[in-house]
Parts: sequence; structure tokens; C-alpha cells
Amino acid sequence: MAAEEKWKGRASKQQEEAEEGGEREPGVLLGRQLPEDGRFAYAALCGISLAWLFPENEQSSFRTEFIKGFVKWLDLPDAVLPAMTAFADGLGGEGTETFTEILLKDPILKENPLLITQDLLSFSLQDGSYDARARVLICRVSWLLRIPLEDLEVLEESLLESLKEQKEEESETAEVSRKKKERRKKLKRYLLIGLATVGGGTVIGLTGGLAAPLVAAGAATIIGSAGAAALGSTAGIAIMASLFGAAGAGLTGYKMKKRVGAIEEFEFLPLTEGKQLHITIAITGWLCTGKYGSFTTPWSSMLHSSEQYCLAWESKYLMELGNTLDSLLNGFVNMMAQEALKFTVLSGIVTALTWPASLLTVASVIDNPWGVCLHRSAEVGKHLAHILLSRQQGQRPVTLIGFSLGARVIYFCLQEMAQEKDSQGIIEDVVLLGAPVEGEAKHWRALTRVVSGRIINGFCRGDWLLSFVYRTSSVQLNVAGLQPIDLDDRRMVNMDLSSVVNGHLDYMKQMDTILKAVGIKTKGCQLEGKGSGSLFSPQAKSQRAAGSEARRKENTRKEEDEAGSEALAAGCAHRQNSSSSALGEPSPPCPDCSHSADSKKQAVGKGAN
Amino acid sequence: MDEDVLTTLKILIIGESGVGKSSLLLRFTDDTFDPELAATIGVDFKVKTISVDGNKAKLAIWDTAGQERFRTLTPSYYRGAQGVILVYDVTRRDTFVKLDNWLNELETYCTRNDIVQMLVGNKIDKENREVDRNEGLKFARKHSMLFIEASAKTCDGVQCAFEELVEKIIQTPGLWESESQNRGVKLSNKEEGYGGGGACGGYCSML
Repeated sequence: MAAEEKWKGRASKQQEEAEEGGEREPGVLLGRQLPEDGRFAYAALCGISLAWLFPENEQSSFRTEFIKGFVKWLDLPDAVLPAMTAFADGLGGEGTETFTEILLKDPILKENPLLITQDLLSFSLQDGSYDARARVLICRVSWLLRIPLEDLEVLEESLLESLKEQKEEESETAEVSRKKKERRKKLKRYLLIGLATVGGGTVIGLTGGLAAPLVAAGAATIIGSAGAAALGSTAGIAIMASLFGAAGAGLTGYKMKKRVGAIEEFEFLPLTEGKQLHITIAITGWLCTGKYGSFTTPWSSMLHSSEQYCLAWESKYLMELGNTLDSLLNGFVNMMAQEALKFTVLSGIVTALTWPASLLTVASVIDNPWGVCLHRSAEVGKHLAHILLSRQQGQRPVTLIGFSLGARVIYFCLQEMAQEKDSQGIIEDVVLLGAPVEGEAKHWRALTRVVSGRIINGFCRGDWLLSFVYRTSSVQLNVAGLQPIDLDDRRMVNMDLSSVVNGHLDYMKQMDTILKAVGIKTKGCQLEGKGSGSLFSPQAKSQRAAGSEARRKENTRKEEDEAGSEALAAGCAHRQNSSSSALGEPSPPCPDCSHSADSKKQAVGKGAN
Repeated sequence: MDEDVLTTLKILIIGESGVGKSSLLLRFTDDTFDPELAATIGVDFKVKTISVDGNKAKLAIWDTAGQERFRTLTPSYYRGAQGVILVYDVTRRDTFVKLDNWLNELETYCTRNDIVQMLVGNKIDKENREVDRNEGLKFARKHSMLFIEASAKTCDGVQCAFEELVEKIIQTPGLWESESQNRGVKLSNKEEGYGGGGACGGYCSML
């Protein structure tokens, strides 16, 4: 496969480079191999991207710190600092084209622009914390250099792999000498945070049999020598401990020690086995008896990160609510009435007074469990905020995704975080689907403070159930799950899911399709994807291990099927290698794949009607 | 501190390597002179607030590198500039001859056509002058630019050059008024759709 060959080429090339580099000094990376103008362009590109991504005043210290550290990292003279700071503050309004052109013309980068992504990643991880803002920046810069986002995922995974290897190699005696070295190093540029002991259940292990042949041949070797070297060759353990939370056990180890407020149940369930430098937490909106009796069921196909969790909360009440919703739809209100309701809601003429009498007679059945869950989801959200703020998940970016009341949990979590200090750089992206929360832009403004990447509001105009259950909770019909949020911020992405979601219950049943539409990676996407990624579902992994021949055949077939499968990803399939349309490409103004921008415009446009 | 500032102006300094662009800027902003000033890397940036005709203007000055290896970077700085200072060395004819190239570049990359241009002949303190004052003046007239001869070393004409440029910019209201409102506005704002008017229910989305 071409992709694989590319990887091998990259790997061997980088190995050579790394060997050279490694002899001189750990961390002689791409940055210092580039000529001065290349480095200047590289830093300027980061500066301008920072200004574009985080123009807010409260982010100015982050911008300044980042660019200062970066100028040092690249060995640029201090004389360029004023200009770089000016870039990062958005002065001048320069475009990025010239800088990307220069970088892409560079002889080293021409062959392999991924080096930039790798270098930025190493820089971002050097002090043992992976800021969500840094990740968003890496995505942005990679995107500007036309590097597919999958490559970043692979880099992250392989960096993790090699850090882990370093850690294992470290014997006890080595550790002693390392500590000494480290003390000296602290004075130097490669400052690492103090070593925290790694204990707890899940020691920072990676997926046991993670497609060894592929990783060995391709990605892991890249960072194994170069990327990790940049982080200080023996620093793996320190970085790992910090990144993954000192407790090691991470989120799954978190147990609610006592009842917090009114919350009765609050626990993280692992959705996937892997470890990654960024995690995803999914939050379910309700439960029903039967197939959807578990918190994890709706998310079975999600594969946004190889480390995903699902929040289990208040199952008793969510079950009650789900069953009521079910009986409401299958018993009290007949299909005809439901269709009629859908169109009534769609037409937007509905007010609290026009609900059919038949529905209002059963209102009491739903209103009570709904009200209870509405209240509890807010409490749970606040609690989640404090867990994330205390970095139980480690120093890595978190993506939150939830539907219905789960989206409400997220909303209140973000609102709570927005009121706290040091709450920036934790949350990367958030996806709220059919959220029963207020849809006023001014309330959503606060969320932009804590979310580094995107705020995706997936809504459905014909969701009469949401409209109905929310009617008493809010005076006006301004619900996020029913309409776009008219917030003027690059983070805000409104997605009209009306073509995918037929009713509120579809958020649970159609999750796979919705995830694709919103641009969250799913297992399906990965199978269809190119052969370069190592982010594979367990099945895919075993297939890979089974033999490269078979894989090659399969991949060829997959590629042939590409056209077909693209159409599958409703609404978001515009390019095969960017299955992450909404999350992956952080910038709406994109000439060749302006999908998310389009959808937003479309959505906003509809909203204005 | 910023309240009484009328506007922020973006000024660009361009010219061949070694003509004294950074020295002029240093003289203007810090009133110092360093004969051994190192070559600029990429671009330098300085801010200075000056008062012209009772109007305070904040100048964001981008001092570009003249060296060939950084030349490819310069196009990115032109965007949004209201004033350009084009510098040549009166003791080196080649820097004067190459002014045409710079004007071409300016025309190619500049986003507005009413940008105020000033030609500065630097290093007039030196003995071995190769470019006559009249030549410079003629060139400036031909391209409708402001003109001044200056010396960063002796401080001759430096202040004057910047002041005149700013004065001219402020006298060209269309040039800076909209800028002052949009200052700091990011690209994203322009890209965001605000949605059209029109009346069409949500039905279409059901299809």
C-alpha cells in the first residue's frame, strides 16, 4: 500500500535523522535542522495560528508563554520575540499562506511535512502536560500544512509507545542515575516536572498486542528515536506519570467517596482498552430496559480516541425516564399524532398552548421523571467539572460528547468550569446532541472560555418530544437541541441533524450515524480509512496481525469501496482521509473542504428563517 | 493609555539588505544607534505612539529583513499596511537601482492601492555619496511618494520621516478609519455566515 510505503520511507528517513541528531544532543530535532528562515516561518505560523485560535484577552498569557517557549525550542534568537509576540497577539493580520509555502518548499519538509506535527507534539509534551489548546494548535498547523489528522493520531500513539518502552527499560539503578541527571537537566531547557510515582490499577500500559508488526515497521520507530529523544531520552516516566495522572488508575479509579450533594451514582466505565494522549468521555442521556439498558451501548461504535470512557450516572432515574419515554411513544401517543406533532414543531408555530389535549393528559407521566433528571444532570455536570479540574484524567485533552440529558451534563459541567480558575486547556472539543438546555447565545458565550477546540451543537428541528418535555422548564421555546446557537465564535459549530434524527429517541438508536454526521470517528471510519493509522478497532488489529497480504487485499477493496462508503457518512463525508470533518479540521475557512463551515452557514441560515 | 489614541497604523519598512532599516527604526523608537547592529531575522516589530497635529497614533512598525534568504517571507507582512517606508543607501547605487523591484513587490502583495509610501535615502552622514538628492527626489515624484534624506547615525530626518508619513496617512481618512474599527478583528468574523433573511420553514431539512 502506498500509505504504508510512505510510512516506511518516513520512518527510515527519520531514523537516520534521529541517529544523527541523537548523537549530538537529545532533542536536536527538526526545529534545529531547518534553516533560520524556515524556523522563523514555522514559529510565525504557530504565532498566527495561536492568534486565530485564541484571540481572547484571557488567553494572552497562554499565547505569550507558548510563543516564548517555542522560540527557545527552535533556537531562534531572542531578537525575533517582539515580532513573534506580535504575531501571536494578532497584530498585523498576516496570512499564513507565505509561511506554509516556505515550509512546504523546504527540502527536509517537502518529503515529510509530518515532521512539523511531530516537532510540535514533542514541544507540547515536553513539560509533561498536554494542553488541549496545544493540541488544537497542532491540528490547525497540521491542517494548514495539509497533513491528514490521522497522522497526528498515529504520532501520538507511537510517542506513547516509545515513552512506555523507555519506562520499562529503566532499571532501578538507572533510575537513580536518571534522577541525578534530571536534577541537572532541570536547569537546562528540557525541564521536566517532578517524578510522580505511578501506582494504581492500570499502570500506564498500552494495548497489549497493539498490531505489533505495523507499529514496528512504521510509526513507532519514528518517534521512538526522534520524538522521544526530543523529550529527553530518559524522561519517559516523568512525562507519562504527569500525562496520565499521578494515580495511574485515572478515571476508572475514581470512586465517589461519599455522596456528593444529591448525586447517587457517578462512575467512569472504560469503553475501549487503549491508552491515548487524549481521551473522550461519553455521557448517555437515558436508559431503557432491554438493549439500551447499559450506559455504554449507544457508544459501541465510537472510536474518537483509543481511550474512551463512559460516564455512568443516576441509572435508577435515567431508567425510569427512558421507560416512560418509551411507553409514551409506543402507547399513549399514536404514530399519526407523532407525525403531526413533528411537523407542528417543524413549522415553528408551536407554543405551550397548542399541545394536543391527548398529550397533555399524559404529561404528568413524563414531567416528573424528566424534572428529576433535569435537576440531577445539572448536579452531575457540576461534579464532573470538579473531577476534570482536579485532573483525575491526567494532563491531557478531554473531548466530551453526550446526547439529551448527557448533553445537559456537559453543558453544566462547562458552565461550572467557566467559573473556575485554571479551567482552560482541559477540554478540547464538546459535542452536545439534542441538548435540553437554553439556546440563547449569551449563555453559551461562557463555554468558549473553557473549550479549546469546538463546541458542536447537534440539533433536530422536528424533535417534538424535546420541545414538549422542555415546555415547562423554559418560558420561551429556546432550546439548544431544537435550533442552532447563534454564537459568533470560531468554536461554535451548529449541525442540523434533522435528516438523521427523526425523533428524540433516535439520538440513542442512531448514534452511529449521528457520530459520523457530526464528524466523530467511529470504528467504521477506521476500517474504511487509510492503511497508515494505528487507531484500529480490535477486530481490525487482529486482521492486521493476521497477515499483510490479506490486509493489502482488503485495503485495496476498501479503497475501491471508498466512493460508496463516503456517501454513507451522512452529511459529513467530503473526503476520505478526513473522517473527522468537524473535529479534525479546526478552521472553517477551508477552500477544499469547507464542509463544517458550510454546514454551519447552512444551519445558521436556516436558523434565521 | 489607549483611550486617547486615535488609531493604530501599520507601517512597513522595506529595502535592500544593509541600507539601515533597523537602524532607522531603532533611532526612531529608542533614540539609539548601534553601528554593529546584527542583521534582522525574519522581521522585527516595534510599537510607538506619536502625536501628529494633536492626534495620537499608535504605530505598529514591522521592520523586514533585507537579506535574500528572508525575502520570501516579506509578502506576508504587506497585508493591511497603511504606510510603507522604502529605504535605500545613498552611498550604494545598487540599493537605489533595486528600488523598482521593491515597488513591484509592493504593488503585487499590497492589499490596498492607496497605501502611503515614503522614500528614505539613508546614511547621508557618510562622505562617499553615490546617489544624488535630486535623483531620489525625482524617483519619488515619479512614483508619487514622499521623500526625505536621513541619517540614523546623526538622527537627521528620522523623526521627520515617520511624522510626515503618519500625517499623510491621517490626511487620507479612508485609509485608516475603517481599520481603526476593525482593529484586532479576526479572519473568522468575515468567514462566518450570518444567515440570509428569506422565509422558508424547516421542512427542507426533512428531505
